[in-house]
Amino acid sequence: MKCIRCYLYPPVKGRVFLSLLIAMKIIIIEDEQHLRESIQKYLEYQGYVCETAADFTAAKEKIDRYVYDCIVVDIGLPYGSGFDIVSALKNFGSAAGIIIISAKNTLDDKLKGLELGSDDYLVKPFHLSELNARINAILRRRKFEGSQWIQFNEIKLDPEGQRLTVNDKAVDLTEKEYQLLEYFIANKRRVLTKPAIAEHVWGDEYVQAGDYDFIYTHIKNLRKKLLDAGSGDYIKTVYGSGYRLTDN
Amino acid sequence: MVTGFYLFHQFSVQLNDRSDKELLADEAQWIDYLETGVENGTTFILRTGELAIFPVNEPLNDYPKIEDVTGKNPKNNNSTTYRQLSQVVSIAGIPYQIIIKKSQEQKAALVRGFTRVMLFVFAGLFFVSLIFNWFISRRLWAPFRESLKKISTAELQHMQAVRFDSTNTAEFNELNSSLNTMTHKIYSDYITMKEFTENAAHEMQTPIAVVQSKLELLLQDANLEDAQVQSVMEASAALSRLGKLNQGLLLLAKIDNDQYNTKEIISLCDITKKYLDLFDELIKDKQLTVTTNFAADFKIALHPFLADSLISNLLGNAIKYNHAGGVVNIVTNNANYQISNSSPLSAIPPDKLFKRFTGAGGSNSTGSNGLGLAIVKKILDANDLLVQYQMLNGLHEFIISKKDL
Repeated sequence: MKCIRCYLYPPVKGRVFLSLLIAMKIIIIEDEQHLRESIQKYLEYQGYVCETAADFTAAKEKIDRYVYDCIVVDIGLPYGSGFDIVSALKNFGSAAGIIIISAKNTLDDKLKGLELGSDDYLVKPFHLSELNARINAILRRRKFEGSQWIQFNEIKLDPEGQRLTVNDKAVDLTEKEYQLLEYFIANKRRVLTKPAIAEHVWGDEYVQAGDYDFIYTHIKNLRKKLLDAGSGDYIKTVYGSGYRLTDN
Repeated sequence: MVTGFYLFHQFSVQLNDRSDKELLADEAQWIDYLETGVENGTTFILRTGELAIFPVNEPLNDYPKIEDVTGKNPKNNNSTTYRQLSQVVSIAGIPYQIIIKKSQEQKAALVRGFTRVMLFVFAGLFFVSLIFNWFISRRLWAPFRESLKKISTAELQHMQAVRFDSTNTAEFNELNSSLNTMTHKIYSDYITMKEFTENAAHEMQTPIAVVQSKLELLLQDANLEDAQVQSVMEASAALSRLGKLNQGLLLLAKIDNDQYNTKEIISLCDITKKYLDLFDELIKDKQLTVTTNFAADFKIALHPFLADSLISNLLGNAIKYNHAGGVVNIVTNNANYQISNSSPLSAIPPDKLFKRFTGAGGSNSTGSNGLGLAIVKKILDANDLLVQYQMLNGLHEFIISKKDL
């Protein structure tokens, strides 16, 4: 078990907002070794405790025996289908979040996944930062019924109302700016490429219609608003690759 | 008919033959009678309507001459044909001309009557056999026609439901059983091909995902030099194009395999509005002026995913291949959906227009994979829609219309 990181904050107006970030446990069920390792590396860097399984039988054993906070499961597994893992989890009343990763982009599969009880469905190939952001969102919804603040130093986001406060002062953000900031914080200290950012906030249809330079304007505006509200300058441009939210 | 004529002719010939034999027999009889009943030296003359025997001063004929002559029927003064025998013979030493005539009227009537009967009989037989044929063929060939119908209406993706039943005829059973084998094989080939295309694209996604994830992790390393970062980004962009290309090819294959057959009535105006909203950033970024005229809605029946793909491709192209400050016009009515845009590019040559990989993008890194219009065309073809392209007033114009059925 990795270190427990605790951020305790005084309660505000009776709302309980637990920011006790005990490292969450995730199991990655994927048969393709290199992909599995990449996912594990990225998520561990973000502070999760990760376990893995390379086929259906190993996965079934692990979920029978241990409790996880989130399950990342591929459909096409040796010896069985990821769908059956989802069913099994629901059958023993697991409260874990489930995100399906699959190469198949069919509506049928997506619906089947949702019907069986998964929380999300991500199509390969995907950005690791995207997977991370989605896991974040699932955990927030499930573990804290959505009522947890997202915090990064003096920046606080309220996901329910999609509101930003800096040093407890409200700051007005557009919808896209909010989503950008949320994405940055979920993937804090990681380099986020322009395609990854654009696909998260604007969807992946953009690639055929143009390039991603338009996101520069949005990020510029976001930065300015944060700085004007008194926050540190955390959004850094990484030359050639993209952007990073960091405080070092 | 030929047989009829032949019979008629034969019959006539036969009758003539008979009649001639009669004439000869008559002549022989007369000669006998006269030879025995007449003294030497006496001459006699016999003349009736049909018989004339009188002495002549001519040489004898070895053979009688039998021919057709026309004469007058004494009974009713009509002109009739006679079969006439004439010969100069010697009776009791004196040469006599014998002429015996037989009226052919009866014979003609007989022949006529006979042939009439024969004709009726034949005609009757002919028609009855036609009718019988018709009935028999209906029943006999019914299984054949049924097999034929099943073949002509068979569809590739429902081939497994086509079954040819056993019949009462051995030959048709052979036919049907061969057809069954064939349809079974066609269907299993189709399924194999379908699964192969899906699996191929599916399999490609995983290695692409692996490479993408490794590149993403690589980027996190702060110790990379600028040149290295650039390499990684370029590799990543190319990979992204590969992924989209794969998806595009998979989509084309799936449309080919009729996997998007469930249709709904879709309003293209609504879809257009959705994508205008989605592409809003890009439109603003390029300072494009978009004018829309949704006077009447253009509604078509097709799969919702294809509708999205269609509009997203057309509108995406209109934006991508536009110059800064350009225009995009969309006009719809009941029969047409028209989208036009300004562009620095010249008119697309018609032979390359909807082909794969003949796009204008070439090696640009913004993901032009050359499949956009090919996908548009395939979607339209699969849903009974027509598309026209023209360069009008400096604008590239695409018009979608419904096929007149």
